[in-house]
Amino acid sequence: MNLTDENLPESKIAPVNYSIYGIPGAILSYLVPGLGQILQGRIGKGLLFFFCVNGLFYYGMMLGQWSNVYLPRAKNLPSISLPFNLKIPNCIAYRMQYAGQFWIGISAWPAIYQNYEYDEESDPPLDPYLGKYQRTPPETELNLLQNRSDRSWDLGWVYTVIAGVLNIMVIYDALMGPVVFIQEKPKAK
Amino acid sequence: MELAMPPIIAAGYYWHLPFLILVISLVYSATRHDDWKIIIIEAYRWGVRMLSFLGMIGLFLYIITLLP
Repeated sequence: MNLTDENLPESKIAPVNYSIYGIPGAILSYLVPGLGQILQGRIGKGLLFFFCVNGLFYYGMMLGQWSNVYLPRAKNLPSISLPFNLKIPNCIAYRMQYAGQFWIGISAWPAIYQNYEYDEESDPPLDPYLGKYQRTPPETELNLLQNRSDRSWDLGWVYTVIAGVLNIMVIYDALMGPVVFIQEKPKAK
Repeated sequence: MELAMPPIIAAGYYWHLPFLILVISLVYSATRHDDWKIIIIEAYRWGVRMLSFLGMIGLFLYIITLLP
């Protein structure tokens, strides 16, 4: 089936109400995947995004023993420069995965809090609310996790990054609506 | 010649792949369309495309393991 307006019955081409899309929906969809769509009245799609994107993110975290979403301070490591002498903050330069995971929204914010509050190199105490959730694991624990025979820790962070990147498309859907490529009908002569 | 075990059986982490493909194809299609019927059709197509692409890579790698 070719998805052009020539092959679709007229009833299938729903009139598009562009007024529902916008920045508020996009912000809500960033915070919680699918929330923007739900508030725009597209409840089914919103629930689909919510369960699929969040499900993938937490499935990835579970594969990684709940230790693959974190943001290290890495303050003792050398800084990394990009071309044109652009500097990346060490926390991102030494954990590029978080640049993808960040887009899942609130679900990845505990890592920012843990980074802000605790220095992973000073053997910090447990957080009273979050414990060690999304805190940078000690080097010895990371080595153990990465050397597991089934490689599920690495697979897990890939899943969390994909979930974050998928949510960028969800945010765009809430901002501008679905990207439908409809060919124009040839004009009758 | 000793036959190697197919990679999909040898490595258990391949069994996590169907969930990933299901989610990617559904979310991608839903960001392209609002009509549920079209979303499902597109998701099915993307699922088949991704499975075929990854299957070809898997087959290629499996054939490589058989080479002496």
